[in-house]
Amino acid sequence: MKDGKELTLETNPECRNLFDVYDWESSDIGPKDRWAVELRTLVNVMLGSLQPMLIVWGPSQTTLYNDGYAEMCGKRHPAAFGKPFGELWHDIWDQVEPIISAAYAGQGTSMDDIEFVMHRNGVPEETHFAFSYTPVRDPWGTVLGMFCACTEQTSTVAARNAERTLRERFEQVFELSPGGIAMLTGPNHVFEYANEVYYSMIGSGRDIIGKTVAEAVSEVVRQGYIDILDRVYQTGEPFVAKNLRIELNRGTAGEKQDRVIDLAYQPMVEDDGKVIGILVQAIDVTELRAEEEKQAQLSHELGHRLKNQLAMVQAIASQTLRNSTDLASARVRLSDRIAVLSAAHDTILLGGMGASTVTQLVDKMTSLHDDPANPRITVTGTNIKVGSRPSLSLSLILHELATNAVKYGALSLPDGRVNIQWKIAGPKSDRFELIWTETGGPPVQQPEGPGSGLRLINAGLNGTADSTVAFTFQPSGLTFRIDADLQGFQQEH
Amino acid sequence: MKHHPILVVEDDGLIRMDLADVLSDSGFDVVEAANADQALALLEAGIPVKAMLTDIDMPGSMNGIKLANLTASRWPECRIIVISGRFSPDQGSLPQGARFLSKPISERQLSVALFELGLSSTI
Repeated sequence: MKDGKELTLETNPECRNLFDVYDWESSDIGPKDRWAVELRTLVNVMLGSLQPMLIVWGPSQTTLYNDGYAEMCGKRHPAAFGKPFGELWHDIWDQVEPIISAAYAGQGTSMDDIEFVMHRNGVPEETHFAFSYTPVRDPWGTVLGMFCACTEQTSTVAARNAERTLRERFEQVFELSPGGIAMLTGPNHVFEYANEVYYSMIGSGRDIIGKTVAEAVSEVVRQGYIDILDRVYQTGEPFVAKNLRIELNRGTAGEKQDRVIDLAYQPMVEDDGKVIGILVQAIDVTELRAEEEKQAQLSHELGHRLKNQLAMVQAIASQTLRNSTDLASARVRLSDRIAVLSAAHDTILLGGMGASTVTQLVDKMTSLHDDPANPRITVTGTNIKVGSRPSLSLSLILHELATNAVKYGALSLPDGRVNIQWKIAGPKSDRFELIWTETGGPPVQQPEGPGSGLRLINAGLNGTADSTVAFTFQPSGLTFRIDADLQGFQQEH
Repeated sequence: MKHHPILVVEDDGLIRMDLADVLSDSGFDVVEAANADQALALLEAGIPVKAMLTDIDMPGSMNGIKLANLTASRWPECRIIVISGRFSPDQGSLPQGARFLSKPISERQLSVALFELGLSSTI
């Protein structure tokens, strides 16, 4: 041999030695020189082979083997050598007995992937073998014994297991994936695998494995998806797209639904560059995109409201400066007015759904302008919801009325009183009415010129389509009345 | 022509009031409308409006963009300025020659627009 290894001398030294020293004289198969020619030939073959080999001979089923097979016997070797086969495998005899009996009855058996734990390298090691039990006959056809050559498959099995484990791992990952994943094989795109998300995306309960995409999800054919798959398969170029509109027969009764998906077709390529299939990744983004659109609208709406608020503050600032006699009083009045708007905003937010109530807005005003120890503002009214735009106007109006009353009106004298009443009015109960009545103040006359704040009140109630604000200046005191359409007064804008 | 008024169409009373004050300060006569329907009624009553300032979002049968287009076709002499906090209108949605101003508008922006439309001789 090239490497100097002399097979005939060096193979199976241990069992070769056993053959030499064994007391064949007292064994069931007798001394070596009386062995049948078939047995002697097979023993020669066996001791010359690197493959594990086994001979079971004679009616006593005497067990003969080489070093390779001895390793499979583990600690049962060397005691098992020359003894009945049943003693060697007594613990698994119910499995071994049928096949050895079959061999003695003239019937061979092949077995694949038999697992042994072996200690060839000093540590326990899982091994896999293929066996073939072959009857050995004399020239007249009588079965003399059984010959078995074993082929180790450990590395192939390991590779196969590794592949299986890898695949199982991938599938575990795929199952946990938030997106739909499917594997297609071959030029016709046959479904080999799909995760749960994929199933629920195309419609739960559809039978797709083993079928082509065109058969299993036939509605996508006319939508051009097979053409895209063909192109990916032929060119090896992936296809990635977002926001694809797709019709899927995914309803509970298989009815058509419009969905929006993000989609990737990834070619699965072998080492030689050949495309063998396509990995499909798809995410149903219908709800997500709708939500994003809603968010965009909301922020757009927020921007709009903000700019309108700024325009309102701008107008208030401009009017305050325009109607003030000096900067110091303008500064106080402007910051008061902005504080009132801010408080009205709090009420709107706390009211939820952008709604506050007349009671809340009136309470805000009284908490600022009335003395709880000596209340002078009386209030009568039901809890009527106010839309956000009229809320801001009403707050500002109440503030200006109160400021005016404290400075010039009923609240400027100790005995003066203010009464506020509001209700739903009109023959069709479709009007909002609020009446502010001052009594016990100084004699009233029509105010002249700027500075009274009454001009801001005349700006009226925003958001209402048909409303009036009106003052009556009677000597007994000022009366103010709001009359507004209830729908506009309560509507959200 | 000098005393032909400017029509201010704006549903927010405070903003309308302030716009009217600013325009009055600049020497213009002003008529006010709280929505497109009121504005149309004034125009149809024959008030010789030389320019219209209109908000876009308003209650009523039409918004400011529709009002601007209607006004441009029926009263072509009337100059138009559109004002909104909501959006810049799409190209082509405003009548030819109309100006757009984004809320809140400054007095300076307003006077520039009035000058460009030939309504005032100074900025």
